[in-house]
Amino acid sequence: MNSLRYLLTALIILSFGVSNAQIKNSKTETLKIYGNCEMCESTIEKAGNLKKVASVDWNKDTKIATLTYDATKTNQDEILKRIALAGYDSDKFLAPNDVYAKLPECCQYERVNKPVSKAAPKTETHDHSNHTATIKKQETNQLNTVFESYFALKDALVKTDGNTASAKAKNLSIAISAVKMETLTTDEHNIWMKVMKDLLFYTEHISDTKDIGHQRDHFMSLSKNMYELIKVSKSETPVYYQHCPMANDGKGANWLSKENAIKNPYYGSQMLTCGSTVETIK
Amino acid sequence: MDIQNLFQKKLLPIALLLLATTSLFAQKVVRYDLYVTDTLVNYAGKEKRAIAVNGQIPMPTLTFTEGDTAEIVVHNQLKESTSLHWHGVFLPNKEDGVPWLTQKPIEAGTSFTYRFPIIQHGTHWYHSHSGLQEQIGMYGSFIMKKRDDDKTFRKGIDDLATVPIIISEWTNLNPDNINRMLHNANDWAAIKKNATQSYAEAIREGHFKTKLTNEWKRMLAMDVSDVYYDKILINGNHTSDLKTIDGKILKAGDKVRLRISNGGASSYFWLRYAGGKITVVANDGNDVEPVEVDRLIIAVSETYDIVVTIPDEGVSYEFLATTEDRTQSASYFIGNGIKQLISPLPKLKYFEGMKMMNDMMKMNGDLDDMGMKMSLNQMDMNVVMYPEITGDAKQKQDHSQHNMDDAPHRYDANALGEITTLNYAMLQSPHNTTLPKDAPVKELKFTLTGNMNRYVWSMDNRVFSETDKIPVKKGEVLRITIYNNSMMRHPMHLHGFDFRVINGKGEYSPLKNVLDIMPMETNTIEFLANEEGDWFFHCHILYHMMGGMNRVFAVDDYQNPYLPNKKQAYNKLQRESNMPHIMVQNDFATNGNDGEAMVQNARWSLGTEWRLGYNDMHGYEVETHFGRYIGKMQWFMPFVGFDYRYRKMGMDEHETNLFGQKNKKDTRSAFSLGFMYTLPMLVNFQAEVYHDGIVRLSLMREDIPISKRIRAGFMVNTDKEYMAELSYVLNKNMGIRTHYDSDMGFGVGLSLSY
Repeated sequence: MNSLRYLLTALIILSFGVSNAQIKNSKTETLKIYGNCEMCESTIEKAGNLKKVASVDWNKDTKIATLTYDATKTNQDEILKRIALAGYDSDKFLAPNDVYAKLPECCQYERVNKPVSKAAPKTETHDHSNHTATIKKQETNQLNTVFESYFALKDALVKTDGNTASAKAKNLSIAISAVKMETLTTDEHNIWMKVMKDLLFYTEHISDTKDIGHQRDHFMSLSKNMYELIKVSKSETPVYYQHCPMANDGKGANWLSKENAIKNPYYGSQMLTCGSTVETIK
Repeated sequence: MDIQNLFQKKLLPIALLLLATTSLFAQKVVRYDLYVTDTLVNYAGKEKRAIAVNGQIPMPTLTFTEGDTAEIVVHNQLKESTSLHWHGVFLPNKEDGVPWLTQKPIEAGTSFTYRFPIIQHGTHWYHSHSGLQEQIGMYGSFIMKKRDDDKTFRKGIDDLATVPIIISEWTNLNPDNINRMLHNANDWAAIKKNATQSYAEAIREGHFKTKLTNEWKRMLAMDVSDVYYDKILINGNHTSDLKTIDGKILKAGDKVRLRISNGGASSYFWLRYAGGKITVVANDGNDVEPVEVDRLIIAVSETYDIVVTIPDEGVSYEFLATTEDRTQSASYFIGNGIKQLISPLPKLKYFEGMKMMNDMMKMNGDLDDMGMKMSLNQMDMNVVMYPEITGDAKQKQDHSQHNMDDAPHRYDANALGEITTLNYAMLQSPHNTTLPKDAPVKELKFTLTGNMNRYVWSMDNRVFSETDKIPVKKGEVLRITIYNNSMMRHPMHLHGFDFRVINGKGEYSPLKNVLDIMPMETNTIEFLANEEGDWFFHCHILYHMMGGMNRVFAVDDYQNPYLPNKKQAYNKLQRESNMPHIMVQNDFATNGNDGEAMVQNARWSLGTEWRLGYNDMHGYEVETHFGRYIGKMQWFMPFVGFDYRYRKMGMDEHETNLFGQKNKKDTRSAFSLGFMYTLPMLVNFQAEVYHDGIVRLSLMREDIPISKRIRAGFMVNTDKEYMAELSYVLNKNMGIRTHYDSDMGFGVGLSLSY
């Protein structure tokens, strides 16, 4: 047993000595890392530091970081990449959007290096390649706001989230009320006159309850009317009209989606991929 | 040359006739000279041996246009033989590049010419088919372009700027050594990957019962892959920038087509892009209807053509290839400017995976899909381990997930998550791929089998060396149904043909030449066997292929000019697929030497164990066993043995075993007959009868994973001997071991293994 103890002690001493060693072949550089507060400071330094290889000292007032590293073992890019992956932009790397979004509120620094068109609408949806296009479209086609609100409502139903569905339905009814009929094209105008009342009726019913069952019942009729509208309105991206044979007590029901992959709003996770696309509207 | 002349004579008038309407059809010979040499590389901190072709790794990209004739001259400047296989390429069998199946190996110092017409288009690759050479550099892209007048030419896809990409892995270990370690269930790779899944870790994560059940079902800790790699490479680099294509600077709005091949020996890669969705436009060199996804996994040896867009000016977007076990990745930055990163994939929840395996594994080692008809990668059992889809490990315990556990979609990544992952059911060919209706159909069924503990991989529980070629008549349709009853996924690759994957797209079923089959999946493929020859069909994970997961389809009786004696050649090929591997281990302890040495192949095992004391009292003991593993799981091994022992016991001291049998001799040599059986909890039960009538029963268990690096073990037998041990793993060949032995007492030592 004694020999084992000696061995262990030796190991501990050895590792202690090692961890205290200085960075060899050290090279020092200063550069800017974007951040806000003391919390940022500790995250940035923790992400950048690597035992024996690299150490980072960031100043929260000047936003200047001093990197000291072993030039034979690592380089500036590796350190900055680790810091960016922790959520902090530099002049070489942009942090992943989802990591930045998860930073505490006090750390949500201004991302000056990120191009504007991507930075603005980044949180609510991911990876829509045509953001700039969608925004322009919204100016010219106000029905898009209606459709977007409808899709948001549908997504809430997919997640079987009655509270969110109610809130999204409220948004939808606001969007519907805000439509200025006179700016619509003739085709759109005709259909709008026909379905507007129903749209508003079912939407308000959905927003009035948090019971997912009721919401889904009304969503069937809402979707039917929305389908008529979307058919005449020119959409930038294709919209898929989808059908689940089991909903509505086996009579089947439809809905609209921006994705071809089925995500069933009538059953949610219970039967998420039940259904098929019956029509692609372009 | 005769053939070429003939072609020119016959085709020239026709071409002239057609000249008025179409462009000239030229019979162009494209020649490449490939010089294969040994080289030293430093990819991961150490100088190691690798193989370079024309001085580079990966091998040069070979580019052809449909209608060309390829002439590739291989100059072997290695000290060993080599070969090159053209993966996914339609060609005469003798050009297929499988040593001892379609040609003789290209011996050291000799040259060999491959020559075949290019009769297809698409993204393919090429690699050595000799031993493990592919692991150390012998892989490269093989691109066949469409002719501009091709009817299937797709505007907006086929005219995009294109980059060939080949992904591979690098390890500082010698691949032969990796192969050996896999067979010896060495868990060094798991330690490196932080995936030991020991009892201590299980308890910390509240999964003690899961671990216990797992061992009860005789499973070793599982990972999604077995080999630890030091670096992942894209076109030979860990990180690279793509700023221009063909001299044109990339800018916002540009679309880039990446022709990606997975040239890794055993790794699957997740492919993700920081600049938005990925559009998949081709798979295994065959066009598919464009499909937009957030990510896809590329199986070993598959190819995908994808299109990505550069959204903003002044930014370059990371294209990230991450190994399936998520320990390593390689980056490729597309565009000019500041680098937009994509977040790395979170660590796998190993114990969730273990729990899932427990549910699926029956006591006899078969898998039970619990009524889920799994196919085409649609249900990925591993999603239970993916935090980005099923939530973080800690959060999960708060949410009551009971309702989820019975839901039919609990393994369907696309249903559970917000992101879309590609699966084979989403692939659709742009044109009709149906096979001739009048062709006779030959139905075949294969069950993929194997066991992790001894790393034996087979089909229908027979390794390659135990099977003959499967005869097929030319013109037959082969319809093959494959069921994966093993615990690992297998990318099954067919030489010489594309097969249709029956995926619900009917006449537009996609064409592929590699099909990844996950555990418990059943998939059906079919193809028209219209080219005669011996075609290899195998798992493309190099270490599974070397373990015997192969078959050969012999279409008609092909006379191969390179192999006059086909029988003898086939025997050679079989022998190479079942090479014996060696394991040696010795503990240099204060009370003596304990050790063992073993030579094993897929079925047979010759092993000897020794205990050598430092004095006569402690004695010297050697036990040798020669046995054969029986059954798919190889839990049962009958053996014949020989024991030798010498020890000085002192006056009138006898040993009596539990059965009252006495053993008086200090020096004893005995033959024995017995068997070993693996009990639940991975305890080995061994029973032997010696020629002098003495019976010995023993129970033992080695390598109980206590913590990440601590292993325990014990042995008791009816000779009233017992032993308990505890060891600490220092590295892949070394450990500190302490044990107590009834013969030799307490000891501490350094244990070395090879």
